[in-house]
Amino acid sequence: MQTSSAKCKPTHATRSFALNALAISVMSLSLSACLPNEKQDAKVSINKNPYPSTYQAMPSQATLLTNATILTGTGERLDDADILLVDGKVKQLGIDLSAPDATVVDMQGKWITPGIIDVHSHLGVYPSPQVESHSDGNEMTSPNTSEVWAEHSVWPQDPGFEAARAGGITSLQILPGSANLFGGRGVTLRNVPSQTVQGMKFADAPYGLKMACGENPKRVYGSRKILPSTRMGNVAGYRSAWLAATEYKRAWEKYEADYEAGKNPTAPKRDLELDTLMGVLDGEILIHNHCYKAEEMAVMIDLSKEFNYHSGTFHHGIEAYKIADLLAENNNCAALWPDWWGFKMEAYDMVEENVAIVDAVKNSCAIVHSDSSTTIQRLNQEAAKVMYRANDNGFEIKPKDAIKWITYNAAKSLGITDEVGSLEAGKKADVVVWSSDPFSVYAHAEQVFIDGAKVFDKFDDKYQAKSDFLIGQEAATPVSQ
Amino acid sequence: MKQSTLFNAMFSKVPSFSKVSNGLGVVLVSGLSLLSSHAYAQSTAIINATVHTVAEQGVLSGAVVMLDDGKITAIYTAETVPSKIEADIIVDAQGNILTPGFIASKNLLGLVEVGAVSRTRDGSDKKADITFDASLAFNPKSTLIPYTRKGGITSNVVMPNGGEGVLVGQSFVVNLSGEFDSVVSPNNAVIAHLGAKSKGSRAMSLQTLANELADAQKALTEASKSKGKKDKTKELKRDQQVINSVVKGEKTLLAYADRATDILALLKLKAQYNLDLVLVGARDAVLVTKQIADANVPVMTSALANLPNSFDSLHSSLDNIAILNEAGIKVIIATSGESHNINQLRFDAGVAVANGFDKSAALAAVTANVADTFKLNSGRIAVGKNADLVLWSGDPFEISTKVNSMWINGEQVSTQSRQDVLRDRYISKSELPRAYIK
Repeated sequence: MQTSSAKCKPTHATRSFALNALAISVMSLSLSACLPNEKQDAKVSINKNPYPSTYQAMPSQATLLTNATILTGTGERLDDADILLVDGKVKQLGIDLSAPDATVVDMQGKWITPGIIDVHSHLGVYPSPQVESHSDGNEMTSPNTSEVWAEHSVWPQDPGFEAARAGGITSLQILPGSANLFGGRGVTLRNVPSQTVQGMKFADAPYGLKMACGENPKRVYGSRKILPSTRMGNVAGYRSAWLAATEYKRAWEKYEADYEAGKNPTAPKRDLELDTLMGVLDGEILIHNHCYKAEEMAVMIDLSKEFNYHSGTFHHGIEAYKIADLLAENNNCAALWPDWWGFKMEAYDMVEENVAIVDAVKNSCAIVHSDSSTTIQRLNQEAAKVMYRANDNGFEIKPKDAIKWITYNAAKSLGITDEVGSLEAGKKADVVVWSSDPFSVYAHAEQVFIDGAKVFDKFDDKYQAKSDFLIGQEAATPVSQ
Repeated sequence: MKQSTLFNAMFSKVPSFSKVSNGLGVVLVSGLSLLSSHAYAQSTAIINATVHTVAEQGVLSGAVVMLDDGKITAIYTAETVPSKIEADIIVDAQGNILTPGFIASKNLLGLVEVGAVSRTRDGSDKKADITFDASLAFNPKSTLIPYTRKGGITSNVVMPNGGEGVLVGQSFVVNLSGEFDSVVSPNNAVIAHLGAKSKGSRAMSLQTLANELADAQKALTEASKSKGKKDKTKELKRDQQVINSVVKGEKTLLAYADRATDILALLKLKAQYNLDLVLVGARDAVLVTKQIADANVPVMTSALANLPNSFDSLHSSLDNIAILNEAGIKVIIATSGESHNINQLRFDAGVAVANGFDKSAALAAVTANVADTFKLNSGRIAVGKNADLVLWSGDPFEISTKVNSMWINGEQVSTQSRQDVLRDRYISKSELPRAYIK
């Protein structure tokens, strides 16, 4: 009898085994404390990855790129250096490397960086052409649409993916828009051509949850006379949602515990919205919060402490420079533009050194992002603008540091630094070869590699993919060249 | 007072000196930021400059440009520099590049302070028609203006969105001095919106424009027939006066159109009515380069717009500007977006150069071509032109470069903006809250 509780607790992971064991124990211990649970229903669990990645690296060969200026993304610059890519991974960096089986390409005069990562893109969900039928980025029907997933809107044929690849973008997060307090899940993609979004998904990258502060949600819903119509309404909306999520998580935990205890509890009713929020509370889904203003970011940090999750990355934080210390203390990344401003009141206090000021604090995580199908093609230049304007005003930022804003720190924000974001042995061979210093307006990404496979070559049509949408649209009459 | 010598005493306290090797053999000063503005017009000599004239003289090194009374009064090459240069202010360019001030276009500068704050928006009005004169709303004290100057921009063609019809209003040109007399040229071109429509047909837009022009032509013909007849002196309505000036070729027609068919239709109207036509946007202009070049029509377009954002622009490419230029079309580069990032014009020009656009053509595309199109006395460094000049720290299109000094109408202007003040507040150290740092 005294052992009943132990016997009632299935100790093995698989449900079928646990059920068999339970059945046996019920037969042999008919008077045990387990009696009320003599039969457990199949355990209900949440499939956290129902749309799994089917991404396959494109064909690659061992490649040795030599004599380049290499910015590693870890704060190092190697001159006249070589990098060896084997089996889709960075094998080695150094001077005068040799690899008998590798294709050797002399990159004299070229610069090499990690693949560029954009943490904020709407490619595929707001694609080109910008027609009504393709406007799939903002589920503007409720202030909380945590149940929607951006990947279910992505049109892989958006020609913007190709243009971004030509700019060195190898990974990117596609986010829902910012109309809602909770806009839905973002997805991190490999920037490869594919007919399906699953074929682009970055396997094992955590999901993101898009949140939004400030003007957008209160404008969209205030005009419909529903909460939120004010910033305090925004916060009330977040808090109500996190309260519900906390209850939901508790209900699932209780169900799990009861089930583990051999009871036959009724599973909580699945709720797609709360699934996502619970994923955040469980630390599995990362917050990406559209939040411009200093005071709002500070509130969002406290909100996250109130409900015991991490407040993640602040996107578009025009005023991040006003609270750079607070962001670093709380391990928040800040994904910022160099100079977009003035399109609304919360974007009025732009300074061109924002990223540099945030970056200057110890343990900071400053990122340059695009939020644009145009500037995603030139994130290197976006970072350059910050670096040079900051250096004009007393900073001493070098390319080896500034490159982190569009590589390593971006990977950190997305939770994928184990695999990408820097050129280090063992990491994915996501590499960009630039025609010159990438912080020049004249620099081109000449070659782009993803998982060691060449996915773009400026001088070889064979490596220039073209969207289904654009083929066959060529002019019937000759285009003068 | 006005004329003083090279060794102007006002510079005796300036700390940074540099020798110049322009044959003058004298010590000159740099560090113009210490100058204050003066109530009277001062003469200025910019010496030892690499001058990109965007004019017949091409590029001059070791050159001197003299400014007085708001105009460029003399240009000396290294060979023709006189032994003595007299000016109130001598600026040693130290070999850096001097260009005409850049001229931006196709934006709402001075008509919008904050995009989403409706009461700061003056670029459009439901009632606006061809007579719409948004220059009345221009705010020279907008914080956007000093910020725009950071891009070496000294003047700008403001193109309001206007009304909802086809002929939506008129453009105007301002200088970026920030003074109340900034409007240089009000109502200098009529703006037409053609092409794809969310409701209705583009055909109706073209028909409306064609009808307006035909009616104006007819009215003008009748007016000339009835000349001298006393009983037919009926005063024309204001909108008729404007469209008549378009038909007479006195006023430029700035026509937004992207698809090649719309462009061709506009070229046809130009031929029919001898319009002074400028194509704006013209995203698919590469399909009809010969026709545009033959018609001698300038194209005002973006250097960055390479995505097929509509079915009117399926042939967008970063190469397009170079293609238009090589076909002999005069190109004006305009920034995308409304008004706040106009200072990026120089980077847009750089991107065009990176994609095959000739570098000197790119400079013309942000200076002389705009000036010619809008009949401005600027955009070139030549004697008699407005002294709108920029001295750069390096290649004007390069991100690492900044404006060292700039002049509008011969007066030095600052590039200090509200953004700089905010930055300095937040990178300063103070025991008091930052609100006390001003």
